Amino acid sequence: MAPETSGAAVRLDGIVAGYGQITILNGLSFTAPAAKITTLIGANGAGKSTVFKTIFGIVRPRAGSVTIGGEAVTGFPARELLARGIVYVPQGRNLFPTLSVRHNLELGGITLGSRALIAQRMEAVFARFPRIAERAEQQASALSGGEQKQLEIGRALLLEPKVVLIDEPSIGLAPKVVADVFALLRGLADTGVTTLMVEQNVRSALAVSDHAVALEGGRVAIEGPAGEMLANPRIKSLFLGGHMEQTG
Amino acid sequence: MFADLAQLTISGLATGAIYALAAMGFTLLWQTSSTINFAQGEFVMVPAFIMLGFLGIGMPLIFAFALTLAASALIFGVGFKRAVVDPMIRHGVLPLAIAAMALSLALQQGVKLVFGAEARSVPDILPDGVTRIVGVAVSYRDVGVLVISFVLILGLQLFLARTLTGRAMQASAQNPDGARVLGINVDRMILYTFLANAALASIAALLVTPIYLAKFDLGGPLGLKAFCAAIIGGFNQMHGALAGGLLIGVIENLTGAYFAPQYKDAAALVLFVIVILFKPEGLFGRREERRV
Repeated sequence: MAPETSGAAVRLDGIVAGYGQITILNGLSFTAPAAKITTLIGANGAGKSTVFKTIFGIVRPRAGSVTIGGEAVTGFPARELLARGIVYVPQGRNLFPTLSVRHNLELGGITLGSRALIAQRMEAVFARFPRIAERAEQQASALSGGEQKQLEIGRALLLEPKVVLIDEPSIGLAPKVVADVFALLRGLADTGVTTLMVEQNVRSALAVSDHAVALEGGRVAIEGPAGEMLANPRIKSLFLGGHMEQTG
Repeated sequence: MFADLAQLTISGLATGAIYALAAMGFTLLWQTSSTINFAQGEFVMVPAFIMLGFLGIGMPLIFAFALTLAASALIFGVGFKRAVVDPMIRHGVLPLAIAAMALSLALQQGVKLVFGAEARSVPDILPDGVTRIVGVAVSYRDVGVLVISFVLILGLQLFLARTLTGRAMQASAQNPDGARVLGINVDRMILYTFLANAALASIAALLVTPIYLAKFDLGGPLGLKAFCAAIIGGFNQMHGALAGGLLIGVIENLTGAYFAPQYKDAAALVLFVIVILFKPEGLFGRREERRV
């Protein structure tokens, strides 16, 4: 199941983006290193989820560029990005409740265009997630929250991705399940998958991350190695909801 | 007594199967695009006149129907989605429902203007005649309507459940944002449901008009009964629409025979009110949670 390709760095350069008249990202620039976990942190409204939507072509930037593995992919539609091994697991529940676990998983490979290849990749995912395999014929809505998140991640892995964008993977999950999800993401990064994570559970997220980017007002407020960020007093003020002065 | 009841039930099921075809269209469009198509009855009525137009230039019935199917797919599938649904749905479900009502009136009056107000006979693809099964007289036509409707409904259900495209259509209906991030072309999946609806409506026209005749106002009562059938069965369940259609067909037939023929058409509405009062999600519907 390990990706054959090595990870690809994700670079955002001067991104200005938002919704209608509202600008959320104000000239955002940062690089998520290849084959590492980069966690985006920041208060609500800082623009964390908008970063993913912009990378994934859901929000079209008014200015700036997105480069992945050296290729400019700004505004590419989902199918183009998926074909390049860039997958996105949005916040919340992303399953199709009345379809079976197997069929939910299968749809993750719809862009592969080959039933045989989808079946082969599904077997690999089932081998990796035995609990999902046991419940393959049940409706997705019958799974627990943790199992649903495993299925979402397993579905994303069906494309053997180079880059995973995952938004709030811990939301609504028990602490033990959160630890399992983070361990899974760590394992992926160690096999060469570039992982970008948005996470409110900052302490746990930074503990498994390599790099962190703190956003405020749609710009990078501070970034650096995850371990150093956790000790940074300004980051602590962010956890407490305090105002963070912009740097750089 | 039993023979009469059985005969009325079978012919009611045949009529109900036609309502079910139109009702499934309601359900399909609601599930995939939050469209309540109040012009559904006219989507059945207009193809009947298109087919009459092709027959009028001497075309054999089978070719006339095939071309009608293609024309309906273009007009009531692609055209309806692009010209009415896509621009109106941005403003909400209610403006779209009102636009569909306006379309219904425009189609009725348009057909009246071009073809007149006279009812026109349409050739039947099904054979005449009656056979007896354990003493019950069963018309070949009723059997034919039931068989065609069930094959269509079963075929559609199998397509949705057993093919990757069908499951992608279900996924697009259940969670469009979730489907898009997997690379599913949600807009195309929605278009497929509009095409399926147009096809179901055309086939309903082929089955219903030889008996009820083609008339500009045919769509009103038919659309209303199909809407009631979809609500009675559960607006979010395909098999609910089927059950609702069959139930209305049988009950209105029995009402006409054992109560009073003039109240026959009210049966669907009475059933509709009872279901709304006591089981608002419909007989087979799921309760839906909507976040605001």
